[in-house]
Amino acid sequence: MRIRAAVSAALASAGILLAGWQSGTFVEDTGSAAASTSAGTAGAGSSGSSTAGSAGAGAAAKAGGTYAGSVVKTRFGAVQVQITVKAGSITDVEALQLTDDDRKSIQISNRAAPLLRAEVLAAQSADVQTIGGATVTSDAYLNSLQAAIDAANL
Amino acid sequence: MLRTSDLPGAALQESVPKESRPTLQARTFNCMGTVISLTLPSASGEDELVAATAVVERLFAGLDETFSLYRPESEASRLARAEIKLPDTSEDMRRLYADAVGWRLATEGAFNPERPDGVLDLSGIVKGHAIQEAGTSLLALGLRGFCLNAGGDVLVSGSPGSSSVVPAGVAPGSREPWRAGIVDPEDRRTLIAGYRLGGQAGAKLALATSGSAERGDHIWTAGAGSLLRTGSAASVFRQVSVAAADIVTADVLATAIVAGGLPMLDRATDGWDIEVLAVRAGGELLATPGFRR
Repeated sequence: MRIRAAVSAALASAGILLAGWQSGTFVEDTGSAAASTSAGTAGAGSSGSSTAGSAGAGAAAKAGGTYAGSVVKTRFGAVQVQITVKAGSITDVEALQLTDDDRKSIQISNRAAPLLRAEVLAAQSADVQTIGGATVTSDAYLNSLQAAIDAANL
Repeated sequence: MLRTSDLPGAALQESVPKESRPTLQARTFNCMGTVISLTLPSASGEDELVAATAVVERLFAGLDETFSLYRPESEASRLARAEIKLPDTSEDMRRLYADAVGWRLATEGAFNPERPDGVLDLSGIVKGHAIQEAGTSLLALGLRGFCLNAGGDVLVSGSPGSSSVVPAGVAPGSREPWRAGIVDPEDRRTLIAGYRLGGQAGAKLALATSGSAERGDHIWTAGAGSLLRTGSAASVFRQVSVAAADIVTADVLATAIVAGGLPMLDRATDGWDIEVLAVRAGGELLATPGFRR
């Protein structure tokens, strides 16, 4: 499956790079004009932009490069992926766009999950400048870490 | 002004070499049943700190006079005793009421400004509102770097190093964040996590924490028929910290998650751009990616 995907990606990329080359589309700062589509967005049909690793478009498809796929609507919102091809194999897949307006994808990436105390961002009381915590009363403040920090800066 | 020089915790500062931290200056005052601390980079000068603290204190005191249910003669107390009606109250009262009702809607009832006995209690939003207003005033005074901590809820601007005095190891002009620690609800002398506020563009500026067993948090479980605080009732969270772009959002959502439990936690992370660290009743942690190492 992975090999098929890589091959079809490379082929599709090459074909569309060629088309892009002929239509003379200007893309970003590479000087290479191209449009490509990635294997992950089968059937989408439309073209995304490509930043080829080398100047020659045809050579880039063979030698490798970075190709952005078209934007695909999913139930989690708009998705766009970018692949990196080296010597005809996909070496990296990166999400360029997960969503615009739909919050579903934020939900997926930002949901609170269980974790161990050793896994949270650690802090030493001597190394922080302020202390967060549920409201302390004026009396409780006197023995609080915040009071210690304030005392050092008073 | 509290004198904090001979506190037991003051000793811990001595273990840290002074030059490794930005030089800061702080002032504190008492209001709303807690202590408010304003911290500025030393480069701002002491006069500026004194003036800024006076502005913040006046603002807090003014809001406390109107909204405190601990003051029998406050507008909020008279409203609670039905001596006056909401339409006849001050603009501040009506505006904050409207804000609170908006939050009740947005949190599907988890944040509720009305107690189960029907008394309007805006305590859950007044402190956040006061911090926000104070922050606006400090910016208007021209302060760029500050850290305002009101009883454990924090709003920052800029950087602790936004001064001519640059701490060791930090390049001049660097966008160093304020380092906040979050207390362990099991042992308030230790920290359970850290979080970096401000410093660079796009960083969250506010961190609010609510607990289920704290006086002044005024949290009751959504749908509860009695005045039981969640601490003594069914809350699955001992403590919830929320980092957001603004302190009112952070404060209200922290309160809402303590009251609304897991469903509200998921709704909050789903619907707002926030980071959450929640401590379950048994001490286990739930956290969004921003709180991970």
